[in-house]
Amino acid sequence: MSEGFVRFSSGDLASIAPEAVLAGMGCVILLLEAFVPSARRWFATLSLAAIAGSLYFLIRAPLVPTFGGRYDTSTLSVLVGLFLGASAVLTILVAKPYLERAGEEKGEFYALLLWGHLGVSLMTRGLDLLIVFIGLETLSLAFYVLASFFRTVEASSEAGLKYFLTGSFASAFTLFGVVLLFGQSGGTKIEGLARPGLASDPTVAFGILLLFVGFGFKMSLAPFHAWAPDVYQGMPTPAVAYLSVAPKGASVLVLYRVLAAVFAGGMPDRFRTGVAALAILSMTLGNVVALAQRDIKRLLAYSGIAHMGYVAIALVVFGRDALAAVIVYFFAYLVSNIGAFAAVSALYRDETKPHPVALLAGDGRRAPFPSAVLALCLFSLAGIPATAGFIGKFFLFKAAIERGLYALALIGVLNSLVSIGYYLKVVYMLYMREPLEEEAPPPLASADQLALGLCAAGILALGIFPGSLWELARRAADNLPLAGP
Amino acid sequence: MAGLLSDHLVSVVVFLPTAGAALLLLFPRALERQARTAALVISAATLAASIPLWTRFDPSQTGFQFREKADWIPSLGISYSVGVDGLSLVLVLLTTVLTPVSLLFSVSHVEREIRGFSIAFLVLETGMLGSLVALDLALFYVFWEVMLVPMYFIIGIWGGARRIYAAMKFFLFTMSGSLLMFLAILYVAIRYHVATGSWSFALEDLYRLSFTGTTETILFVAFALAFAIKVPVFPLHTWLPDAHTEAPTAGSIILAGVLLKLGVYGYIRFALPLFPDASIRFAPWLGVLGVIGVVYGAFVAYAQRDMKRLVAYSSVSHLGLVVIGVGAFTTISLSGSIIQMVNHGLSTGALFLLVGVLYERRHTREIDAYGGIAAVVPVTTALFLIATLSSIGLPGLNGFVGEWLILLGTWASPHRWWAVAAATGVILSAVYMLTLVQRVFWNPLQHEENRTLSEIRPTEMIAASVLVVLMVWIGVRPNDLLERVRGSVDAIQQSVAQKQLAARGLR
Repeated sequence: MSEGFVRFSSGDLASIAPEAVLAGMGCVILLLEAFVPSARRWFATLSLAAIAGSLYFLIRAPLVPTFGGRYDTSTLSVLVGLFLGASAVLTILVAKPYLERAGEEKGEFYALLLWGHLGVSLMTRGLDLLIVFIGLETLSLAFYVLASFFRTVEASSEAGLKYFLTGSFASAFTLFGVVLLFGQSGGTKIEGLARPGLASDPTVAFGILLLFVGFGFKMSLAPFHAWAPDVYQGMPTPAVAYLSVAPKGASVLVLYRVLAAVFAGGMPDRFRTGVAALAILSMTLGNVVALAQRDIKRLLAYSGIAHMGYVAIALVVFGRDALAAVIVYFFAYLVSNIGAFAAVSALYRDETKPHPVALLAGDGRRAPFPSAVLALCLFSLAGIPATAGFIGKFFLFKAAIERGLYALALIGVLNSLVSIGYYLKVVYMLYMREPLEEEAPPPLASADQLALGLCAAGILALGIFPGSLWELARRAADNLPLAGP
Repeated sequence: MAGLLSDHLVSVVVFLPTAGAALLLLFPRALERQARTAALVISAATLAASIPLWTRFDPSQTGFQFREKADWIPSLGISYSVGVDGLSLVLVLLTTVLTPVSLLFSVSHVEREIRGFSIAFLVLETGMLGSLVALDLALFYVFWEVMLVPMYFIIGIWGGARRIYAAMKFFLFTMSGSLLMFLAILYVAIRYHVATGSWSFALEDLYRLSFTGTTETILFVAFALAFAIKVPVFPLHTWLPDAHTEAPTAGSIILAGVLLKLGVYGYIRFALPLFPDASIRFAPWLGVLGVIGVVYGAFVAYAQRDMKRLVAYSSVSHLGLVVIGVGAFTTISLSGSIIQMVNHGLSTGALFLLVGVLYERRHTREIDAYGGIAAVVPVTTALFLIATLSSIGLPGLNGFVGEWLILLGTWASPHRWWAVAAATGVILSAVYMLTLVQRVFWNPLQHEENRTLSEIRPTEMIAASVLVVLMVWIGVRPNDLLERVRGSVDAIQQSVAQKQLAARGLR
């Protein structure tokens, strides 16, 4: 206890101000919900203010680790914090009109979202596996509830239960992994894993394997993906938008941190092979199964599984440029994927019913703006140049080829070819089919418009001017002890 | 301002269409027709802006002219670097001519979603022009892929009955080739980094690399495959008849006129000088595939009952000829291939346009549904005949120049028999094209409804006349084109020869 885990310094407190704001605002919103129901229409604004405040404190915080080296403030965690904050802002913008349409504008949604966001922040800033685990659990608990937010809808309850059961299973794996690493390194700090000899220790290897199960689950990396389609389908769309982006990014960062500590001297080949197998499995399974999907949320779930396969390539490459590439990739994925879910939220009338792709027929003419943004997002997810998605793949594949992983890169691009099949299926519905239903999509709320506009602008801006983000990401990647591409 | 514009002439030409497309986005739905006029004006302005490229181009220089360079992703040496040489110049002009021609034709024929159609066309134009002027491999790849999306929409939304299938096939075929090229581009740039310690995607830097053995073969194949699919070289051509048949007329004009040429262009610009050894090694294969394309395309064209499919297969045959010229790789055959690309763009563009004219009146492209309409629509007939004669290489029209040069140059190369086969292709093209003219325009008039066929409209006629004038001009004064092309042909041959010498020296 001599490191001062209990006694905080003022610097320690300043460094957790971003998370404190989120926790506090969550409580305020819940109290308002209980005692001042008329304040409901301000919840979204309050949540946005909380995110803004949290980002403000994050940017202002001095770039030194606090709590005795257990809590990180660095270019890396600030950049990732901006990524998470952007996900949360877009999610809230989508959530407000969505909940209004569904007649469920309750404070719980925003409070849980903020707490979930708090959990993800802890995951990305924790340099101690226990903090990371607490973050993971905070996130999970909040989203178990959000999954079953539509209490009266069977699919939503099913999603909640499924997510809870499989999620607690995965958390148990994570915790067991943490315990094993603790046992071998004598502490829970990630940097303690850098002790010589640990890299070849079988118990450590097993511990990392268990972490892969736990965080692979959060990433929806095959074969730990099975929950995603069902949960995506039943969960409120804005919550899915957040869940499909932010926690995945955070999980990759955690894995990168742990691996960078353990394998400071380079990743052993058997590990590389194992992660490469996961990447190939995830890409291929996600893309092939997505081809057969009829529900847009399930389709996007499988597309997400495939994308995590691409991301896993960066873990195989395991180098400085690969980490920078994966950061750029996640920024691209943020605007593309949340944009796609924002469009889905804006285009479907009945929130609690399934979302068949066929219902989009003819929407290109009936709802031109959300349809155009959806098409743009899908082209970006497919990796067509001049969009953000291409830039993400560009840096990722560049790193892979630099490391000599030709086969993996080849499998990756062949997979993007497969993915064109289902992304274009949606575009085809939007623009090349006559409408199925008389009723047009609901009128577009201004918050929806803003979210869609931001995502579209982000996709094009990042796709056309990727230079500065790449530089930032490279500087951020310097924070981990990584070598090579 | 004028100085600024002329310093960035290439960028103005490339991005004017997209700027116009962005402007069209702001047009309200009620002003759809005005959007069409605006698109026409924008493409005409692009044409006007591209004319100084032609007049100010200095044929005595062999390098790139009108250069512009700006950093894009500096830490990876990726730059916005553009410029034109003779090879790209003629294709840029072809693009800026064919785009307003297609839009002009569409004025009276595209009724649905006019605004979207115009936007897709203008973005497509930027994609094509950008691919032609890009001197940075990453930049080239971006433009190259950007072309796919608007063309997918043009076929998929405004196309015929099987448009969805055709659009998807077009997208997947072209994409599969380019993805392999994407990896090859990354590999080449990484090799440059390894060799020199600095990053660059600039073409002129990468030209200096030499690859050997299997590596070169694999890289060459990855590049060549992407371009061969686009051309398309037999047996990768199967997407083309579908795409052409289903695409709206304007889409077919651009597809045949420019998009296919980009395959040949890419091969000459990138695959040849980057991998000279492999391209010389594979040249016989290329030539043989070209010969097969010429003969096979001609026979299949002859068997078609659908006019548009016939013209589409004639493209396979004609581009086979171009491929032979590139494969032979003599100065004359290479110049001939480049000229022939322009010629094919003009003549096939005109043929698609005139087939479109007939289709819009009878809503069928079956050859048997016509016959004897020469007396009913004499102007259409005359224009069609000129386009046909240009296509089959009648002296005095453009087609002759290109075909003659290709045959001559190929005869002078070690692969004499290709010239023989190519010459049969020329004869065969006369057979199927003249048969088409006979069956559609001459033969006795059998269908009553053809008696009242309306004559070509002014807008359609202007569109077609532009092409006819250019056919005659090139036919009479081919030197205007040749002198501009010659410099770049020499430069390309020299760089290939030098690299081969250097590579031999290394071994």
